[in-house]
Amino acid sequence: MSDARFRNPGWAGNTGEFDLTEADVRGSEFVGEQPLDGGHPSVAPSLPYMLVKKDPEAPLFEGPYLERFEKIRSRYPMARAALIPALNLAQELRGHVSPETMDEVAALLGLSDAFVRGVATFYTMYNKRPVGRFLIQVCTNISCNIRGADEVLAAFLEHTGTELGETSSDGDFTIAEAECLAGCGFPTCVQINSRYFEDVSAKDVPAVLERLKREVNDGF
Amino acid sequence: MADNGRKADTVTLTIDGHEVTVPKGTSLLHAAETLGTEVPHYCYHPGLTAPAQCRICLVEVEGAPKLQPSCVTMAENGQVVHTDSPAAKRMRQGVLEFYLVNHPLDCPICDMSGECMLQDYVFEEGREKGRGREPKRVFGRDDFGGDVLFYGDRCVMCTRCVRFMDEVARDPRLTVVERGSRAVIDTFFDRGLEGASFAGNVVDICPVGALVSKDFLHKARAWDLDRTPSVCPNCSQGCNIELHTRDNLVQRLKPRENREVNGHWMCDYGRANYEWMNRPGRLEEPAAGRGAKRCVADWRSALEHLFVKLREGAEVKAVGSASASNEALAALAAVAGAAGEVSARVFRSPRAADEVPLPGFPLLVRRRDLASNVDGAGLLGFERTGDDRANGGLEDVAGHDGALLVLGDELTDQNEDFGAAASLYVYLGTFDSPAARNADFVLPVTTFAEEEGSFVNAQGRVQRYRQGLQAPGSARPAWLVLGALAAALADGGVPESAGDVFAELVAAHPAFAGLAWDGLGDRGAALRTEAVHG
Repeated sequence: MSDARFRNPGWAGNTGEFDLTEADVRGSEFVGEQPLDGGHPSVAPSLPYMLVKKDPEAPLFEGPYLERFEKIRSRYPMARAALIPALNLAQELRGHVSPETMDEVAALLGLSDAFVRGVATFYTMYNKRPVGRFLIQVCTNISCNIRGADEVLAAFLEHTGTELGETSSDGDFTIAEAECLAGCGFPTCVQINSRYFEDVSAKDVPAVLERLKREVNDGF
Repeated sequence: MADNGRKADTVTLTIDGHEVTVPKGTSLLHAAETLGTEVPHYCYHPGLTAPAQCRICLVEVEGAPKLQPSCVTMAENGQVVHTDSPAAKRMRQGVLEFYLVNHPLDCPICDMSGECMLQDYVFEEGREKGRGREPKRVFGRDDFGGDVLFYGDRCVMCTRCVRFMDEVARDPRLTVVERGSRAVIDTFFDRGLEGASFAGNVVDICPVGALVSKDFLHKARAWDLDRTPSVCPNCSQGCNIELHTRDNLVQRLKPRENREVNGHWMCDYGRANYEWMNRPGRLEEPAAGRGAKRCVADWRSALEHLFVKLREGAEVKAVGSASASNEALAALAAVAGAAGEVSARVFRSPRAADEVPLPGFPLLVRRRDLASNVDGAGLLGFERTGDDRANGGLEDVAGHDGALLVLGDELTDQNEDFGAAASLYVYLGTFDSPAARNADFVLPVTTFAEEEGSFVNAQGRVQRYRQGLQAPGSARPAWLVLGALAAALADGGVPESAGDVFAELVAAHPAFAGLAWDGLGDRGAALRTEAVHG
């Protein structure tokens, strides 16, 4: 944390404008608590609730997830309206939306599998392929591009040794290109899981990756 | 505007300078149609909802700030609409140019060429030369399963196919995946259209060559096909169809609109079952004499000899067919009646285990009866016999010692002894059969595709079909052969057309009362309700 740039790590929704602490975001009873194996690591660190243990053979939603799914379903008059939040929930669990996941969501909502596929593929924020522990999305849109986003992206690829859209061999990093992340005031903007890293330049990249690895080693 | 526009249920508007009055709730596209003006359209289809997304049916409505999509803009009193104004034309040209950005120029190998709406519109109003310099994006083709093949590059994203599967087939297996320039029609991964019962319709409604039939792939060019209005012979629903023929062969069946029967649709079962119309090895010449004594005869001598034999009188058993026309069956009944006392009039017909309904258009059902005229045969006094595979049930007939008349039943389950005891055995058919060995007369008749006639469908609707193929050899329509015999036996005039036989049929059978041949037209007419059984 010596680097001033990383003073505020930025939890989900934090643009750096507010000084939100982990307690503010996750609730004080969860500070320092580690998420169990329920959710996918790419979403887990910023979740404001505890996740449950997950049997890989189990149905998509069960326990608290089933409760949340049913709550989602009850909010909408039609099943198809609940599709997007249901897919969000599925991605939170699995990190990506696979054909099997689409099929399960379709069955749960009584929609056609093809329709679910249509929706899931329309939205770029549903990962259609598995992602690593950290999904690193580098904005390459106008403002960031002017400030060297291409070099930032290249640096991420170089230092993780992956191809664009691929996951590194240790399963930690997936690098993707993103359209505008609405961080145009602080280019280049990089979204890592739910956290924003702003004012990132190519030379900062090793430090960012170092910090992420430290989080992994610290069990987070 | 005009006075009649004040009526509550109609509106009067001006389209391209012509005043037109249409029912309230009519779209501008329909209103223009009543004037004979076709407004270009892709996503709009009369059998589906209109999402107004293709943007090519935009027309200028005076007073409206922007061009309006004519497929969903309802006609209103006093509207002044221009479908062909410079603004509308310029817009259409622009939209077409966008459509051509990624559309391949593979018309020479595209099955849709010649009946393609993109080809037509570009030919009419498109730019002479494209301005696109970028490479086109390429999807290649995808096997959707069933009879459907998808050429992604040709697609104009009208989503007619998606909406058909959703709204009409109620089996939403198609969807738009991805977005923007990557958007493409697809099924759920490799879970295709296999097993869907009405998926063939998506090929018909595709305005371009994106969805094509595997069966018809590269088989014929659209402009080489002759199109004959007909009635689907494959079940008792009697969907109105067109026979598309070339080189005297049926190349494919297409549905023909009839909102009383099949809407715009037909089932895949009916669509796929046409090869039998092209089956070779037909009976071509009349023949007389049993077994080894069989020799080819000309029609005149065959019918003269048959006439003499029929006048001898005998107990008659007649086997008809549920695939024969009303005219043929009525003439068969007339001949049988004139030849002696009729002790049996039967037909055999295959029955499927289940009906296959089309949920979004409930009138259309693939019926259990897999022959076109089961109901006509019933009304004309023939009784069903045999099992659901059209086998058996002819035990009394096979050994009958009187006169035996067989029309259109190939007797595939019967052996060579069939009719051996008959004093007279006449076999009218399209194919020879071992069971016709003992026939005194074997008379070649035409299939429904080679003649005119009518069927009664399961709704009790009498529908005409027309001749699409030339009959092989000397084969003649059964109504002509039997009609001539019936006329000779009754000292009447020989019928000159199926219409003549139909007129006699109407006179002889009260169930058909009130119908006239010319009144049937291309869409048929319903029997009086009390005549319809079951």
